[in-house]
Formats: sequence, structure tokens, C-alpha cells
Amino acid sequence: MSAIEDKIRIRTKELLESGEVAEFIGWGKGRFENQTSPLFIKDPSRVDELVYNDYCVNTLGKYAYQMKGDGKIALCVRGCDARAINRMLSDKALNREDVYLLGIPCEGMRDRKTNEVLKKCQECRHHNPVVYDELLGEEVEFPLPENRFVEVEAIEQMSTQERADYFDTVFSKCIRCYACRDVCPCCTCNQCFVDQREADWQGKQSNIPENRFFGLTRAFHVGDRCIECGECERVCPMGLPLMSLNRKLIKDMNTLFGEFEAGMGDEGPDVLRTYKLDDVEEFM
Amino acid sequence: MILKKENVQNLLDELSKSALVFVPKEVDGVLKFAPFKSADEMTLDIINTTLPPKDLLFPQTQKMYRYGIDADGKMYVDPSDDSAEQVVFGIRTCDMQSIVCMDDVFLTKGFVDEFYQAKRDKLLTVAIGCNKVAETCFCDSMGLDPQNSPTADIQLLEGDDAYSVVAQTEKGEKALESWKPFLSEGSVEVPKIECALKVDMTGVKDKLDRMFDHPIWEELSAKCLACGTCTYVCPTCHCFDISQENKMKDGVRFRCWDSCMFSEYTQMAGDHNPRPTKKERLRNRFMHKLCFFEDRYGKTLCVGCGRCVEKCPVSVDITCLIDQIGEFDV
Repeated sequence: MSAIEDKIRIRTKELLESGEVAEFIGWGKGRFENQTSPLFIKDPSRVDELVYNDYCVNTLGKYAYQMKGDGKIALCVRGCDARAINRMLSDKALNREDVYLLGIPCEGMRDRKTNEVLKKCQECRHHNPVVYDELLGEEVEFPLPENRFVEVEAIEQMSTQERADYFDTVFSKCIRCYACRDVCPCCTCNQCFVDQREADWQGKQSNIPENRFFGLTRAFHVGDRCIECGECERVCPMGLPLMSLNRKLIKDMNTLFGEFEAGMGDEGPDVLRTYKLDDVEEFM
Repeated sequence: MILKKENVQNLLDELSKSALVFVPKEVDGVLKFAPFKSADEMTLDIINTTLPPKDLLFPQTQKMYRYGIDADGKMYVDPSDDSAEQVVFGIRTCDMQSIVCMDDVFLTKGFVDEFYQAKRDKLLTVAIGCNKVAETCFCDSMGLDPQNSPTADIQLLEGDDAYSVVAQTEKGEKALESWKPFLSEGSVEVPKIECALKVDMTGVKDKLDRMFDHPIWEELSAKCLACGTCTYVCPTCHCFDISQENKMKDGVRFRCWDSCMFSEYTQMAGDHNPRPTKKERLRNRFMHKLCFFEDRYGKTLCVGCGRCVEKCPVSVDITCLIDQIGEFDV
């Protein structure tokens, strides 16, 4: 770990001093023990503030999109961050030359309080970055996690009434802070449907129907683009099981169109934007 | 007087006969103030609920009135009042102070918000002093005492097997009459505690007066997601938007929480936005907490509950900001 931290600092210093990149995005210390927070550095003399340890819970990919246009950005990418970059490249939200990627093989991050490996990291299918300019360590080997559709299958087993009650409970807790949207590397619309007030797609009142409309619409908008980084679920202050919505769509798409994983490359075609003559049409 | 812990359930059952009693408890995995039911487990000993009790006075969505065209073709407007007698039992010092701040906003300076007032007049506040603190608690740095909420109607302090009970307002004294069967003589020993997290507020407001164009806002907002988590878990954030839902010939006008972190919050007709990026929004949020509110109401709008510190997805931390401001020479 500390070897990677050293390499991050050395390379960041070199990249900033040479002018190759304008800014670097990594992680710095938070106030509390084992807390880290995204850190943005322009001044090479500050690289010692960068850290890398078991508690770098934030996925950084989305920040590259936010900083587009500010010059070339370097950032650390693990499996999740890298797939986020690929995602935004395929969506033309980002150009490859906008970013310089320091790849980090990741063994999974831990919750600073419980010290347990985060749920999103337990469910991770790609610990090594799938795109990078240089790799700061040896690739790690991890067995694929067991059936990632366990939660989805449990919901599918429910009766219609049980399922309605289940989702009512889930969405009764949503406070509509939109953290799930704001952290998501797929949510790069110039204006979210939620904010299109004149069209009035989304009512502002917080109640089960409106919350459910938001949650489901967001899941469908992300659709075949979800890279399963699990950030939406991690940041939800109310602990909503948001990945089960995304994974339901992934599971159905896998059944209908064959196995597919988003963000593994920077080109399409993504399943829902590909038309084949032999596509299943049972719903037509 | 003391209230033995074994009598708490009975007291709350009694109070529930004439009012909605809210206690801290876990509902579907979320810690919040929710209606007391004798069969449910309470969490009176938790330090802070995830959601603050502000929705007891200022619901996330509140109907204001119904309107429409009636059968005779005439327009009608029906004001809506859903206020009822409420008791909040087990509120902490930080949240009690947040009610003081909301009272300032909704009831003073020549403006009286009737929806707020209807609920406020019917709320009895029963505070319990803290015997432990979370790592994110810093109320004593904000001029509060975790074991004393001077504005609560009734103040309890927790001992091993009983709470000491003191009425602090007329309303509290009157309420205690119905508590009598559950109280007994005695006293409770409570060790003094203080928050582990400390910040120094000295000079912070004065410096902020001169920091509107400071580079800190650009720097700090870089990692901010501009989500509304901090504002919705904050006990003092009180911004709202008014909107309506129309169905055929009838409609409901309602107000609901809004967040200064959202781009749409300051979006004006004609598409101008005076706070176009998250830099301006984040600056406004912190300025409101630590500077503007003091200008208007003479107190800070941060009560040190630590919820935003705990819940921010990217660890934007108001206590770190206060430390940084302290170090600036402006």
C-alpha cells in the first residue's frame, strides 16, 4: 500500500512539474482516523498530502468529467474508477486525451468504522484497472464474486403484493438528496430530468410515488451503462439498496441479449443501443 | 424529581393518549424521531438520529391548501392545517438549538409563518442531556452544553436507572402535572461530559465577512458533489420551495424542502442563475451557517450536531473549514 502511495506522490510531482498535466486527483487525509477524502492538487509541492490506503472509498472517475476543459487531468484509477472513465469515453462525455491515468490494482476498500471490506468492493468484478497509462503495482488476482444477483432474485421471488410493499418501504426512506445521481459516472446529462422544471417530469414533493418515480427513472436512464461501481448505494444517506435496481436491469439484459458488462472498453456497442435482426421481441 | 427508567414506557403510553409522541427509534433501518408505540424498541440512548427532528415542525412536504372548481363552477380554496398536539421526547441539545434557530426564521422579524406556528404552539419539547458523544459531535464549540438545553420545556438528565426531571418553561410545568404518577423524589448523578471534537469559532464570522472572494471556496467545492445530503440531514436548514400538483379541476399547493446545493434552487425566470456553479452554492451554504445568519439573528446556524460531517459522501467537513478559516490571515 505505502509503496503505491510513494509512487503516486513521485509520479504526481513529475507530471505536474513537467506540465504534462494541469491537475491531479487522488485522495488526501480526512479529519478522523482512517478517513480519506478526494484531493485535488495543482501545486507539485503539495504531493505529500496524497495518501493511498485501505480507506480510499471514493471513486474518482466522475471528477474527470466535472473538470473537463481545465487542461489535462491526471487521476488514480482502480477497476471502478477506470470503468467510470471508459463509461464517459463511450458516452463522449470525455476525450481520452483529457486524462492521464495512473492505474492501481485494488484489493478492496474498507469502512473506516467497522473495518469491513465495503459491500461495493466485495461485489467488485474488476479489481485491476481496465484502462490506464501506467500501472503503479502488480496486478492482483481475485476470484469473481459469487452470484451478484442474489438480492435481485430475492425480490423476484416475492409475490406482487410483497414486492409492492417492499418498494414502498424502500422509497418511503428516500429523502431526494440526489447523491446517487450526483456521484454516478453515468449521470452526465447537461440537465437531469429532475431539474427540467418546465417539463415537470418530476414533482418536487417527497412521497412514495414521486420518490419511486425518481428511483426507477434514474435506474432506467443508467440502463445498460451501469458499471456496477456501487457508489450510488455507498453514498445513499438512507441506505437504500440501489444496486438491486441496477442489477435487475443488468440481469434482464444478460438474459435477453447475452452477458454484457459496461465500461470494459471505450467503444460501444452497448446492448440497448444495438439493433440486431435476431433480437428478442417477445414484448412486441 | 426523578423519572425511573422502568416508568418511561408507562409515561409515554399516558402522554400518547392526548398527543403524538415522537421518540428516537430505528424505522426500516433509519434512525429518526418517529411515533412512539409501546411494542417498538426506542433508542433513547443513541447520540444522534440520522434524520433530525425538524420535520415535526417543518415537514419535508407540507400541504398548504387545496383549490379548484367545485360542482357549481365556483373556485374554492381550502386551507390545510394538519397540526396536532405533539411531544418530542429525547431531543438533544443540538436539535433543541436548531428549533431556536427555526423559531427565529419562521416567527420573528415581522414575519409569522402560520404553518410553522400552528405546529410549534402544539409541540412540547423534552430534552435528554447527552452522557456520551460521537466523534463528530462539536456542539460545545458552538456555545452549547450537551447536557443542558435551556429552551426545552422539560430537561432530563440520564442516570443509571432514572432521569432527573426539571421543567424549564411554563408549558413544561403544566405538562409535568400529568407526569406526576410516574415521578418520584430523588436525584441523579451525572458526570459532566464534553465533546471530543473541538473547533474555535473566535473571529470566524469576522473573517468570513471578508472572504466572499477567497480561493477557499473554489478549492473546497472541487470535491463537493452538489447533492443535498448535508442540507437534508441538517437540523437547521430550513429552505423550502412552493409548488403544486393539479388533477383535473382540483389542485394542492404544497411546500417542500429545497436545498441551496441544487442548481435549480437559484434558477430564475429567463434562465439566469446567480449561483451558476457549486462553488457559489457551497459558499452560500457555509456563509449562511457561519456568517449571514449571525448578521440577521445574532447566532450561528450551525449547532454542532455533526450530521453533515458524518454523512457527506466526499467528506466535506464544516469543522475542517472552521479550522482553515482560523488559520487564514484575512
